Amino acid sequence: MSLHWLKVAAATGVAAVALASAAYAQTVRVTVAEYSSKTGPYFEKAATEFEAANPGTDVQIEVVPWDVLQQKLTTDISGGANADLAIIGTRWLIDYVSQGIAAPLDDYITDDFRGRFIDTFLSPSVMDGKTYGLPIAASARAMYYNKALFEQAGITAPPATWDELKAAAEKIKALGGDNYGFGLQGKEIETDVYFYYALWSQGGNLIEEDGTSGLDTEAAYKAAQIYKDLIDQGLTEPGVTSLNREDVQNLFKQGRIGMMITAPFLSNQIKEEAPDLQYGVAAIPAGPNGDRGTYGVTDSIIMFENSQNKDTAWKFMDYLFTTEKRAEFDENEGFLPVNAQEAAMPLFADNADLKAFTDLLPSARFAPVIAGWEEMAAATSNALQRIYLGEGEIQASLDQAAAEINGIIEANQ
Amino acid sequence: MNRSIFTNPYVLIAPAFMLAAFIILWPLFQIGEISISNVNRFGQLRGFSGPENFMAVFADPQFLASLWRTVIWTVGIVAGTILVSIPVALILNEDFYGRGLARVIIMLPWAVSLTMTAIVWRWALSGESGMLNSALLGLGLIDQNIQWLAQASTAFPVQIAIGILVSIPFTTTIFLGGLSAIPDDLYEAARLEGANGWQIFLTITLPLLRPFINIAVVMNTITVFNSFPIIWATTQGGPANSTDILVTYLYKLGFNFGKLGEASALSLLMFALLLFFTIIYVRLAMRGERA
Repeated sequence: MSLHWLKVAAATGVAAVALASAAYAQTVRVTVAEYSSKTGPYFEKAATEFEAANPGTDVQIEVVPWDVLQQKLTTDISGGANADLAIIGTRWLIDYVSQGIAAPLDDYITDDFRGRFIDTFLSPSVMDGKTYGLPIAASARAMYYNKALFEQAGITAPPATWDELKAAAEKIKALGGDNYGFGLQGKEIETDVYFYYALWSQGGNLIEEDGTSGLDTEAAYKAAQIYKDLIDQGLTEPGVTSLNREDVQNLFKQGRIGMMITAPFLSNQIKEEAPDLQYGVAAIPAGPNGDRGTYGVTDSIIMFENSQNKDTAWKFMDYLFTTEKRAEFDENEGFLPVNAQEAAMPLFADNADLKAFTDLLPSARFAPVIAGWEEMAAATSNALQRIYLGEGEIQASLDQAAAEINGIIEANQ
Repeated sequence: MNRSIFTNPYVLIAPAFMLAAFIILWPLFQIGEISISNVNRFGQLRGFSGPENFMAVFADPQFLASLWRTVIWTVGIVAGTILVSIPVALILNEDFYGRGLARVIIMLPWAVSLTMTAIVWRWALSGESGMLNSALLGLGLIDQNIQWLAQASTAFPVQIAIGILVSIPFTTTIFLGGLSAIPDDLYEAARLEGANGWQIFLTITLPLLRPFINIAVVMNTITVFNSFPIIWATTQGGPANSTDILVTYLYKLGFNFGKLGEASALSLLMFALLLFFTIIYVRLAMRGERA
């Protein structure tokens, strides 16, 4: 009797608290990656606008630098202190899905909402037929070239193949001075990706159809040989293993590099830091059979399964993906439009640099959706660094990396 | 004698002990639990796994390579720091014009966060636009840029040198304290007997400084063994893991690869290693002192 009474009282109490919190504290915490100094202010502004339009809500933005994002999320999740929404690299999503951390969004997504997206960018966040994330940031890679150096060296058009690229690099080297033909990244994040451009052009794959690594193939050996030749013949900057992506971009901004492959945001940086630099953006060079691949990357914003305010969190997501908010974000950060209406806006449609990137989208390939990908990427980067330094033979180093990768694939099955 | 329970030494240190236990032993227990569990990349436990995580660490060739590099790293920095800090402390202990300023300059690196120092060094070591190369070129010591961070053979020694540089302020402070504890009349007596500077140093200064050297060795060993920012900011353990020490390897295992079980096992091993060597060193040093 008294026990029953207690239960009722407790249940009423819980319900009352739940109601109260529903009425007063619709708090949504959002962990966002800091892409640039404009990211934090953009999200703060979006939160303020959203709160004004939806009284009784409170959106809290936590800005985290990219380098420590994965670490911060891991720590938050293991301590049960994660936010309601978070930006993550889409290549990490498989872990979030397989461990039940990310909530499927299909109940919220209407056909109308889905129709806003360019499908290429939404598809990487779809797993087992369910959508677990929305592409908050999208990017691809293309080749930047220095028009002034090209003119001096008498090169008329950006190289369409790796052979032409090598010839162009030789001409730039022949100019003398502190100029380097091809900027080759050999350190830190995306060292492996820089190699994939050559690998894909030779018809290679990261993961073969039989589910094993594609590094122990003729295509991979040839691709590595292309880069190794460029290094050995002094057609790249010296000491490639000491330059990360930013370092190579800085050399490009200084006008000392003829060609390099990187993301659209370099255009924004050039506009601000080196407005006088004469440069163009072209397709990534193709292989002998016309094969070509660019690296497509998306970051996803996900909703956590343990979020207490999913409806409000979704409303905020919905707000972030309105055409106007997307255009503002992508213009700030130099990302590609993920929204079809947005892509048609003159701001993006008439931008020649961006056009080079969007033209490459049909050949865009994303990091494989496979558990342990970061570790495989590290194994690939290590093998490449040994090759670039001349510490390992091409075939032996790549075979060893392939064996490591196959071991990781097996262990995760 | 009947003492009040409130003056019992064990009671008196109890609050401090409890606090230390809470801060140190509780995480240690947690890490111990993770290290013998199946754990997903978000730190959620998924059942008991026995010694599997430890076996995986031992089977990884990177573990032994990093361990060996950690030994070179720690011994190199600690020995280098002591060797440089003793003369620096001796000089700063002399009375000379501008000593206050000299002390400030020596101590200044201490005021800057280690990560900031390391990042500044990364810029300074840049092959194309680094200060170090411009300085060496300007002095005519080299005739073309050296790519300091491109290979381990130049990167690792430079990292050790940075480690020595940032350890000097703390170590010098300890030695200055030690030197001021040596009574002046010992020196006066030695000089009256006709001892020269070197003899005074060897027979008076060094023996009396020994307890302080021991403290400096133990404290520096603990800090340097676990020092992360210098290597991470300059090379991230690369190229191809060739500058990885245990703590950077641990970070990659845990946060880049999401293998929290193996990372926990490794950090327990590191804790045990450090504890083991510190105890051995302290016992050896203490025995020498008593003799």
